[in-house]
Amino acid sequence: MEKKLAMVIDSFACIDCKACQAACKEANKIPVGKWRNWIKSPDVEAAARKGGRMLFQPGNCMQCEKPTCVEACPTGATYKDASDGTVKINRELCIGCGQCLPACPYGARYRHPELRVADKCDFCAERRAAGLEPACVSTCPNKARVFGDLNDSRSDVRQLLKKGNFVQVVNKESNTDPHIYYLGDPGVKDWPVKAQMPSAFAFWKNMAGPAMKAFVGLSAVGVGAMLVKQFIMPNDAPEDKDKGGDEHE
Amino acid sequence: MNSKIDLNMSRRNFLKLSGAAALAAAGGSGNLLGVQGASAAVKPGDFESKFGVCDMCFNKCSMIARVRDGIVEKLDPNPKFHKSRGMLCARGNAGIRQLYDPDRLKTPLLRKGARGEGKWQRLTWDQALDHAAEQLNRIAEKYSRCGVVFMAGADMQSLFVHRFAEAFGSYNALSHESMCLIAGTRGFLDTFGEVPIPDMRYTKYVVMCGANRFEALVTPDSMDLMTAMKEGTKLVVMDPRYTKTAAMADEYHAIRPHTDMALMLAFAHVLVFEGLYDKDFVQNRCFGLEQLKEHVRDNTPEWAEKETEIPAGDIRRIARELAAAAPRAMIYPGRRSSNYTDSSQIRRAFAIVNALLGNWDRPGGLTAARKVGLKSPHIEAPFYENNPEDRIDAGVAKLMFDEEGSFKIARDAVIAQKPYPVKGFFTYKTNPAQTAANREKTLKMYEQLDFALSMDITMSDTAWLADLVLPSQCALERTDPCSAQQGSSACACVVMRDPVVSKPMFESKSALWVVSELAKRMDLGEYFDFTVDGFREEQLDGLPGALEALQGDGVYYNPSKLYGVYDGRIFKTKSHKIELYNERYKELGVDPMPVYHKPKEVPPLKFRMVVGRSAVVTQSSSQNNSLLQEFVSDNNLWIHPDPAGKLGIAHGDRVRVDSPVGTQKLEANVTYKTRPDTVYMLTGFGVLSQDLRNLKGKGACIAEVIEDEMDTLTGNMAMHETIVTVRKEAA
Amino acid sequence: MMRPKIKIKEGMNMSNRMIKRHDQGAILIHWFNAICWFFLLATGLGLIENPALQPLGQWWPNLMKDIFGGGAILLKAHWIVGIVWAGVWLLFLLVGIVRYTLPFLKQIMTYTIPRDIQWMVKKNMQMTMGYKMMAKLVKPFGWDGKIPDQGFYNAGQKAAAAGMISGAVVIVITGVIMLISKVYLNPDQTPLVQWSITIHYIAAAVTFGILLIHIYMAAISREERPAFISMFTGEVPEEYARHHHKLWYEKVES
Repeated sequence: MEKKLAMVIDSFACIDCKACQAACKEANKIPVGKWRNWIKSPDVEAAARKGGRMLFQPGNCMQCEKPTCVEACPTGATYKDASDGTVKINRELCIGCGQCLPACPYGARYRHPELRVADKCDFCAERRAAGLEPACVSTCPNKARVFGDLNDSRSDVRQLLKKGNFVQVVNKESNTDPHIYYLGDPGVKDWPVKAQMPSAFAFWKNMAGPAMKAFVGLSAVGVGAMLVKQFIMPNDAPEDKDKGGDEHE
Repeated sequence: MNSKIDLNMSRRNFLKLSGAAALAAAGGSGNLLGVQGASAAVKPGDFESKFGVCDMCFNKCSMIARVRDGIVEKLDPNPKFHKSRGMLCARGNAGIRQLYDPDRLKTPLLRKGARGEGKWQRLTWDQALDHAAEQLNRIAEKYSRCGVVFMAGADMQSLFVHRFAEAFGSYNALSHESMCLIAGTRGFLDTFGEVPIPDMRYTKYVVMCGANRFEALVTPDSMDLMTAMKEGTKLVVMDPRYTKTAAMADEYHAIRPHTDMALMLAFAHVLVFEGLYDKDFVQNRCFGLEQLKEHVRDNTPEWAEKETEIPAGDIRRIARELAAAAPRAMIYPGRRSSNYTDSSQIRRAFAIVNALLGNWDRPGGLTAARKVGLKSPHIEAPFYENNPEDRIDAGVAKLMFDEEGSFKIARDAVIAQKPYPVKGFFTYKTNPAQTAANREKTLKMYEQLDFALSMDITMSDTAWLADLVLPSQCALERTDPCSAQQGSSACACVVMRDPVVSKPMFESKSALWVVSELAKRMDLGEYFDFTVDGFREEQLDGLPGALEALQGDGVYYNPSKLYGVYDGRIFKTKSHKIELYNERYKELGVDPMPVYHKPKEVPPLKFRMVVGRSAVVTQSSSQNNSLLQEFVSDNNLWIHPDPAGKLGIAHGDRVRVDSPVGTQKLEANVTYKTRPDTVYMLTGFGVLSQDLRNLKGKGACIAEVIEDEMDTLTGNMAMHETIVTVRKEAA
Repeated sequence: MMRPKIKIKEGMNMSNRMIKRHDQGAILIHWFNAICWFFLLATGLGLIENPALQPLGQWWPNLMKDIFGGGAILLKAHWIVGIVWAGVWLLFLLVGIVRYTLPFLKQIMTYTIPRDIQWMVKKNMQMTMGYKMMAKLVKPFGWDGKIPDQGFYNAGQKAAAAGMISGAVVIVITGVIMLISKVYLNPDQTPLVQWSITIHYIAAAVTFGILLIHIYMAAISREERPAFISMFTGEVPEEYARHHHKLWYEKVES
């Protein structure tokens, strides 16, 4: 049966200790200054002023059900893998154009400075293949992250979601149906942005694409007309043969 | 982790591919160009898994190292290690970068230029050890064996350094504890007869004064507290700073610094005068209720409000809530008590309130140490004739712990060269040159020394000031003896450290090897006539199956009694009961019950400097780590917007912090996270060492501005007593 | 060398004299270009997986990826042939700069304005509607029905060449940018890559549009059959040269 890998996160338990970010960085050899995961913090100063509980929100690529990053990729290097429900990047097919980066409402992707292809969380595919959990999940001091297969009714993630008290953190205009669910109050809510399509992509899609179809079509029509004329008037010739110009068989 | 077959278009691959197209086509295996698909999944056999024990802080979490082709690729938690609840924090994950830190000390180094100049000469180990033996013997002959002070930090091989000190004949062995928790140890020891371990997992109500469990991670406390909170446990935090722990709390009060005792006395007042204390327990197992009653008669919540700035109604309510939740309620004992001149008594006040709640030896309360059963092999220390009477730090702090000593008192003694000359300083895994309050004095101390030896992993400030620097192995390279761990309801366990790499980096050695080699050269070889394996055998004697468990699971559990340990037993105190009133103190001329003294006045637009921790770096040892640098690369001065505004200081401005003992400059972090009368900076920056490439020129050293006050009873450094001025630095 | 039969029809000039029009190098590079170009077109279109951009429908990239064993290999094939195509061309243009490159450029960039415009208008009309209709339609301009004399290349061939060469240059430049994106370029240079993809597509499409006309003219149009044959033999009949490229013929004959 196909898997639908997902995470259920409890912001209540997150203490912003950075263990998940550190673990991810080491497990996936992520370059300096780049991150495959994050911890969203509410306004600390506001919280400090009025007191009260802060909720930190860990997150990473949401492996969305309706990924806008896939919609932005020209070559299909990034694609939704139906077998496990994750959004994958085929580094070989990625040409490093970066169109997928602004297309993610969560900013989950970055362009790898050395490999020069798009990169993002893949739920630690290599660790999973070796029978380990994603690095962020196992390392968390308070087990704020739970990982599993939503298609497996006995999985922890399914059990947690059964209680019904969860939300997805989405942008209203770009609701990509993410595979990360937050129990109870997720903390910061309105931070994902609308998926942006780069101007070059939009230009191709909306203008150049139709224009080229029209141009090639026009050319084909012209050629078609010439072909038709060739058959209809096989003996077409200039009136005055001797005055030079074209002559035919 | 990259897949084994890596076909990313690096420049090299690109050229290879474009030139070899024909060849590839010729050799194809069905596919054009004969190449494999991307991202071949890692097969489980690709890497080895080995147990290790983390050393990035004192918790000693068991972990599993993933090693591929001899390179450590990842450190993972050990799911079987209950003390950590199967976790590994950011620092634990960063252990790989400590192993492969390009700033690692590679060979023994002998100081060439002036102290602190940073000029070194490489020595072979033989040369270094010969030199050290010669120097130590010289001091022994010219002055005395006590003329060398030994200081070893919280490490699984520190006991070997202490053993060497014993064999060498110096009583002046210090731990780092006098810069950390001995006042707390004193307060609880002198109340309960032993130092309890809080049962965070099953408690229902916690009052946490000053401890910052969600940043200063302690296993299992930090993990268990959150689990308990998820189940409804209430956390009340008192802290002059809005720490992460304060941010997680159900209730937070920005208590006025140095008024914790007032709060505790008021709690005691409410518990006693409203009859909310555990009458049965206190009657049968506590001594001194009547005296206590009298003592706290005037310590009403209204009185405490004036001291603490916490509303009386809240104080009263919290006391009642504690009582209602008791015995699953506690004043969290905390750990670091290096705060005030009366820290021992402050912690005793914590202990007394706990006693009144009757939470001793019960679920959700303070539990007695559990039996682990590890043996401690000792040596018969030799007797040396021309040795002084006592330690150099003796006779100053009435209740100092001899096993730990007092760094502050010892340092003063070395500076004064009284009561007798001290010319040698042997340090291992401790960094007083960065962390000991009043750095000026530390530098003065070094001026008195003929021979300072430092064993360290990188060129810490303490190594920087030494005469001889020895490269130490880090946790991933070492074979260490067993260590017993107390985890309250999580466990009572033993961990043991084995290397996860086959070869240590460069010429690094273990402390045991170093002291063994020194011993050989100094006719003390008989005291080091063992291997670690042999030592472990002795330690584990009487624990059948322990070695197998350690090798198979990375941990050995002793399923010893957790609660009710004291059923039918007396307490190890004079009265054989829990002492609300301590007669021994009275006899020594010490207040038998904590007496509140008003805190230092903080003049307007001046500030009290406080010390604190981060979940991402440890004290001063991990700031150079390249992974942790990505989270914390610098420190800054926390200052409240109101005084900052009055001083013309904007967020990000460079400021100058002045105290009676020093000056430091750093960036201002104007924030509501601190009280207007309190400033703070993270420890571990403003280094002297020029060989910590990620730290050079960054931030400020808090120890340079903090005065070396001390807890009068134990000699615990008191680091919250310093009042500073803050000024904007001219651009 | 191919030597197709020449049908001798009534009225045809019986002189079988052949004139050399293209030499070996030109012929080889032409067919090399054709083969590479179609391979690149097929694979290039096969790399457009995104349905919003794919002009043919998903069946084409699916087919291409099946044949080549995956998108990664398809991409590498496109790169390799693209590099070989551009590289061989560059080499040819440099080594043959005196013999081929400069003369060719001179030929396709030399226009005689009123005459060539007239040729373009008249020829297009003649090809689609016949001589009679063309003569009728151009009367209002004050033109007769005679198609103006042309040189080595007629105005249409010049325009097509200019278009396809410009297209090729843009394709190569944008292609190289996309290629080095994974070797040299920085993240802040990704808009450059993104626009290169779009412009690469536009240039390929424009070139393809022109190519359709070129293929018709060269391979399908009956009157240009001798020219098609000359792309194998290198020679055109004298009569063809005289009627279709009079100015060149006159120069050669002098």
